[in-house]
Amino acid sequence: MRIAAGVDVGSTQTKAVLLADNGGRKVLARKLTDTGANVQKAAERAFDLCCEEAGIKTADVGFVVGTGYGRYKISFGNAQMTEISCHARGASFLCPGTRTVIDMGGQDSKAISVGPSGEVLDFVMNDKCAAGTGRFLANAAEVIGIGLDEIGPLALEAKRPVKIATVCTVFVEADILSYLANGKKPADILGGVHLAIAKRTLSLARRVNIEPEITMTGGVARNAGMVHALEEVLGAKMNVTPDAHFMGAVGAALFALEKMDDSFEMGWTKDYASHRGN
Amino acid sequence: MLASDIERTFDRYRDLLEDLSFPEVRRWKEADPRRKAVGFFPVYAPVEIIHAAGMLPVGLAGAGDRLDIQHADARFGSFICSIIKTTLELGMTGHLEPFEGLLFSSICDSARNLAFVMKRNFPQKYIDFLHLPHNPSSPASVDFLAAEYRRLIGQLERIGGDYSEEKLRAGIALFNRQRELVRELYAIRAAAPHLLRAWECYVAVRVGNVLPVEEHIALLEQVLAAAPRRDAKKRDSLRVVIEGSFCEQPPLEVIRLIEDAGCDIVEDDFTLAQRWFTEDVPAVGDPVHALAEAYVNRSVYSSVRHDFRKPRWLGLAEKIKASQADAVIFLMAKFCEPAYFDYVPFKQQVELMGLPHLALEYEEKLFTFERLRTEVETFVESLVFD
Repeated sequence: MRIAAGVDVGSTQTKAVLLADNGGRKVLARKLTDTGANVQKAAERAFDLCCEEAGIKTADVGFVVGTGYGRYKISFGNAQMTEISCHARGASFLCPGTRTVIDMGGQDSKAISVGPSGEVLDFVMNDKCAAGTGRFLANAAEVIGIGLDEIGPLALEAKRPVKIATVCTVFVEADILSYLANGKKPADILGGVHLAIAKRTLSLARRVNIEPEITMTGGVARNAGMVHALEEVLGAKMNVTPDAHFMGAVGAALFALEKMDDSFEMGWTKDYASHRGN
Repeated sequence: MLASDIERTFDRYRDLLEDLSFPEVRRWKEADPRRKAVGFFPVYAPVEIIHAAGMLPVGLAGAGDRLDIQHADARFGSFICSIIKTTLELGMTGHLEPFEGLLFSSICDSARNLAFVMKRNFPQKYIDFLHLPHNPSSPASVDFLAAEYRRLIGQLERIGGDYSEEKLRAGIALFNRQRELVRELYAIRAAAPHLLRAWECYVAVRVGNVLPVEEHIALLEQVLAAAPRRDAKKRDSLRVVIEGSFCEQPPLEVIRLIEDAGCDIVEDDFTLAQRWFTEDVPAVGDPVHALAEAYVNRSVYSSVRHDFRKPRWLGLAEKIKASQADAVIFLMAKFCEPAYFDYVPFKQQVELMGLPHLALEYEEKLFTFERLRTEVETFVESLVFD
């Protein structure tokens, strides 16, 4: 059995996944840790915890691909790929019909148009703005005074979602406080907040070709309220797997496994990899 | 120059470009107290005429990441591109003190307005707005531009310029030589990009903005002689054309990260002024008329020069074919209207040719490059790991 790992060092959380190939490919272990200030340590911790859970030694892992914004800080990584390539590959593996990926992470969001083999056809990232990211939702939760895990379910209870004029993470605070002062229910305020972000995300995603099936990835996929709001504005159901948060790491592990299998077509990219410092 | 010295040379000229005190301009002027310098805002100015008036033409290129905006934001809206603001800021903070004159031209609304904002704020300087013809298909455009150039000559004489037709003919020959050497530099980029990295080529060309043309010619000759002798390893990379960076210049780090991600920039439109003419300007006959005729009939395609006779996207198509590019990266400055207007027909042309393309946005002042790095790497990965 061959084992490969993917480590996705995101801005907020670091995810590690072990993938085993024993005829078929399956996720052996997954772990999550806060990234914090020491990116390298976070990557090591997530990877070590994964190996511990799987009951293997780190030396048993044949190849490690790092991804995410901290990908070049992973000292034990054998190669790096961007999180966009990895989310596309991971989503295509877990949900083979995927043609569009909407990735909402802690600090940024992306829309990716995906080909039948999980290849990236087109992509778009948000620009210097936390709207449509986990950070925006965390801010809203803080203003209302409830936990981040609670806002999604509460937003689902909204009967008459309020209108939110801004999707600016800083200025939305004033809107929320104003609605609270006017006696609006937190559920309706959160319903409005989620819809506002969903619309913003959709306008970002429209820059690529949105085609079914749509798979949502990233940490915000754990927020049922956000999934519901996005499906409402998209007018379509999305694939949301329990591994949505780990999708980048899953994709990275797949690339790692393919490299081990030697089916990873490096070709001229050996040079390409070497001048990237891999 | 020894091949081993070439790296140090590029580093030195990079440092020179980052020095907002314009040390080379000051040095040139110190040799004779009568000397005067005229700065010009991108994209093009008839540097030969400034040179023929005995003055130093200096290409302005914003302030990169080395100047905080403290005055310009009070005078321009937040939707105006960085180079407009940093150029005004350079003036408001005394950095343009070495220049007796400043030239602007009709490249976009923001640049047009900058000319007059500068004029109001610096009444002691000679500040002029050149009306470059918008309709080259009109038979009157050459005469129109020649008249505009003669008006410029009069203005330069008014501030102490010592112009003669003979000097203009000699200047045209000099700048022809400079452009020829720049073309040779780009020929190396296209044929053997490992011998001359894109950022090195960029620095070697752009430093001509702030050096006397005679010194720049000597520098280019040295680089051209040293580059083929370099012990550099060939690498397999994507051959890309960069389009859209003709005015505000991207940070050097952006050029580097595009290369580091696995691309060879085999063609670009950086520092376009020095590549403005596609062939030599005749250095005989009426030189003013020759310069005007060259602008109308021998200019490179550009988003800031309309030419109804030949659409710009066909110019891009020719550039792509000639450089045998695999892909195009549209590298556009935030809020750059000419670049974004042309992005649509350019993109359609590139798609018609079946080439992949990527749009990136930058500002001259950037300190973190992770987002751009991720975008370029993903683009390369999507083409390489199919």
